[in-house]
Amino acid sequence: MSEMILSDMEEIKINTDVLVVGGGYTGLKAAKGISDSGYSVVLIESDTIIGGEKNPLSFIGIDVTAQDELKRLVDDVAADDAVNVLMNTRLVSAAGVPGDFTIRLATSDGDLEKKIGAIVVATNFSNKPLSGAYGLSLSDSVLTLSQLEYLLSGSDRDRLSNKTIAFMVGFAQEGDALVMERILSNVLAVESIGGCTTYVFAGNLKVASDGLERAYLESRDKGATYFKLKTMPTISPDGESISFIDPVLRKKMELSPDVIVIEEEILADEMNPLLAAILRIDVGPGGFLQTDNIHRFPVQSNREGIFVIGGTRDVQNIPTALMDVENAVLEINHLLKDGKIVVPKNKAVLDIGKCTFCITCYRLCPHGAIYWDNTNKPVISPVACQGCGICASDCPMDAIQIGNYSDAEIMDKIKSNGSAAPDDLRIVAFCCQNSAYEAGLMADAFQMETPANLQVIKVPCAGKVDLDYIMKAFVEGADGVLVMACHPGNCKSEKGNTYAEWRVVDAHRMLEETGLEKERLGFVTLASNMGIGFSSAVVDLENRLKALGTSPFNK
Amino acid sequence: MSTENNKIMVIGGGIAGLTAAWELSRLGASVELVEKTCFLGGHAIGFCCKATDECVQCGACSVEDMLKKVVGEPGITVHLATEVDKIGKNGIFSVKLKKSSPTVNMPVDGVIKGYSKNNDPLYVVVDKDKAAQIPEGAVDLSELGTTGELEVDAVILASGFQPFNAEIKKTYGYNQFKNVITGMDLERIKRQYGDVIRPSDKKQPETIAFILCVGSRDERLGNLWCSQVCCPYALRMANDIKFKNEEADISVFYMDIQNFGKNFPDFYEKCQSSMNFIRTIPVDIFPVEDDKLKMRYFNEEDGQSVENVFDLVVLAVGITPDPDNKNLAKLLEIGLNVDGFLGGIDPLNRTRTANEGVFIAGTVEGPKSIAGSMAQAGQAAAEVMKYLEVNK
Repeated sequence: MSEMILSDMEEIKINTDVLVVGGGYTGLKAAKGISDSGYSVVLIESDTIIGGEKNPLSFIGIDVTAQDELKRLVDDVAADDAVNVLMNTRLVSAAGVPGDFTIRLATSDGDLEKKIGAIVVATNFSNKPLSGAYGLSLSDSVLTLSQLEYLLSGSDRDRLSNKTIAFMVGFAQEGDALVMERILSNVLAVESIGGCTTYVFAGNLKVASDGLERAYLESRDKGATYFKLKTMPTISPDGESISFIDPVLRKKMELSPDVIVIEEEILADEMNPLLAAILRIDVGPGGFLQTDNIHRFPVQSNREGIFVIGGTRDVQNIPTALMDVENAVLEINHLLKDGKIVVPKNKAVLDIGKCTFCITCYRLCPHGAIYWDNTNKPVISPVACQGCGICASDCPMDAIQIGNYSDAEIMDKIKSNGSAAPDDLRIVAFCCQNSAYEAGLMADAFQMETPANLQVIKVPCAGKVDLDYIMKAFVEGADGVLVMACHPGNCKSEKGNTYAEWRVVDAHRMLEETGLEKERLGFVTLASNMGIGFSSAVVDLENRLKALGTSPFNK
Repeated sequence: MSTENNKIMVIGGGIAGLTAAWELSRLGASVELVEKTCFLGGHAIGFCCKATDECVQCGACSVEDMLKKVVGEPGITVHLATEVDKIGKNGIFSVKLKKSSPTVNMPVDGVIKGYSKNNDPLYVVVDKDKAAQIPEGAVDLSELGTTGELEVDAVILASGFQPFNAEIKKTYGYNQFKNVITGMDLERIKRQYGDVIRPSDKKQPETIAFILCVGSRDERLGNLWCSQVCCPYALRMANDIKFKNEEADISVFYMDIQNFGKNFPDFYEKCQSSMNFIRTIPVDIFPVEDDKLKMRYFNEEDGQSVENVFDLVVLAVGITPDPDNKNLAKLLEIGLNVDGFLGGIDPLNRTRTANEGVFIAGTVEGPKSIAGSMAQAGQAAAEVMKYLEVNK
């Protein structure tokens, strides 16, 4: 809200302690980074040990650098007085808002309540063996990738010498670059053992990560043979023979490996759904705790003050997860500062006298910014509120007003028509400030065609567009109205565009009841860089209106 | 962590540089943003939105968003058409800036235009004599560029990449045949016209070929890396073409399809059911009647040579190191890696370099998506903080 003047601001004192959930590599690194920037950290881990030491190969694989780094990190965290490590501990509940969360932890010594300012979620992946999908059972000669990694890091790795080893990847799942990275590093490790013959059966080689193409070529130079097939090769149930059509020679081939290594699927932590429910954050594809929305990348959740990093939010390798860590440390610094933050007083103001405690606002707020205080009344946190106005437009009592977008101000804009071309067909376009409004400015800057009597009304989110605004625009003589929102999946407030579309559907029905053509009202989704899209949307509506003529309300 | 009273130089005004500058200024630092071309935003500001009836997370709009934030931030000083001439380090960095000679594709009317309304200036006059009319607010190229000296506490290098020059793949006829275009060209076409059209007649193409890995994963060229962005942009674009024109016949020539987005298997399945995926590298392309293109390739199933005619061929060119990388490596005393990108010294944290106080971010370090470049820029900003904390 750049237009806010300073006298409308207030300073709030906030708690600067940070909760980190998960004591794996990224959780530890985040805890250390946050503590290094001067905040106290509570690190909780459901296991009895931190650093994933119980199963050191669970996600680090056989990367020695990363293993060493992790060991150092465990020591650093243990030596850091500002990091309070609680093992055997789970998060039970989290109430409140950023800067003032009250969390309850279940520890081995009973429950514990704490006040904290921000939360970082750093849960781990799990690996699921896909041997079943290949029709195989695990045995001494049928291994999962994790089992091979374990073998390779142990003393009896020479058990593999002079063996023929076949890897399977990309047939039981589409796979990803992290699975491929693990396969390639294992192929290279196997090749460093004497006398091994290596075959890799692959669907798509997922090499879209740093150094993987080189690793692939290196392993080939060292003797690995790759067969890229479109379908899974036929493997005998005991795993002793593999038959397939060689795509280069176009000949049926048969191989008898000593060991078959089967890919694994990387899955989100099974704790994620519960954590999401406790923290009221959205669950994305595959059970990862971040929706596929570019406004969340890299580490934001839908709630201010709750950050999701590494394997919590996506399948990632270690360097990428460490980028997340640093981004979370940055965000924590931006949010908590020195324990005092300045926020606008009127971001969203609730008139408690009008409120009927219907909880609509609480249910609809996509940012979890509304909570119930001790007196059982709703409170909108100025820290957590993003000012989208979804609550305001759906409040049945109109009890909420948003900063510079109060109902009165928007109604005034609808009424005023200072157009230079009052005789032309009048179009009112409600434009989301994040997309369509910007696209409109771009259309202007690049002198793209727009109707002469177009009135753009900026809204903080299309979800702010009240049914009343649309109807009022027609009452005030608009010949046509457009509601212009972000594309589905691109709304900063996740569902503001969806709510806006529903309201347009409602408005269409009401227009028909009043005898007005519903073609006068349109709903369009745009991106901020679509100047040309803005231009064609408004021109299209103008052309439709030309066919319909002036609105009967427009005397 | 605070950087008040600190000054940091960011080299490069693309998405990584913009993000680094923004993150640093949010922490209270003042930032000197040095960009050698006439506009901020880098390559990515020219990219188009690839949404169908839903967002496909290409990230192009986040570049627009970041550019807007940076130009509105008083703590960031922008030096357009400027490059670093010399840099010395004695605790702090002493920098000498000079005017760059930006390579400008000479426009017909002597004026070049930025890609975004947030480009300031939006118009740069390159040749006054050729300009029929000088747009309002236009700045003469000679007025751009900073010469002078600066002292900064740290440096973030985010100078970006160079798209692969498709002319090198001679048999594809880029810049010879009108309707053979690169992915970069396609971005610009869609941004300008709002739709995918054929350059020759501005009509909607019905049969379209995408050739992936042009200039990437190419042993003959010695480009032994996956560019990581071409599968994403090519398939997102193809998906959008198909959405707007159900009849469009799209063929994708590929080696391996790479993942992108959080829901890739579903997206890929949708593409596979509506497009032809052919696992081969096409041999060559010839023009035929009506500016169509005949492509020869070996059939996957039987290895026989086949020919197919397309209205439009899109070469999905990849990311290659900027030719300036060598100079920058020398200037900043940091290493180049085997591929010609600037090499970090820490495999786990690629923003760190051999020169303490100099950090790298974005595609100067290796191929990256928009989101990946932004994430790494955030990491670099955090590393600058730590460095300044230790070296107070």
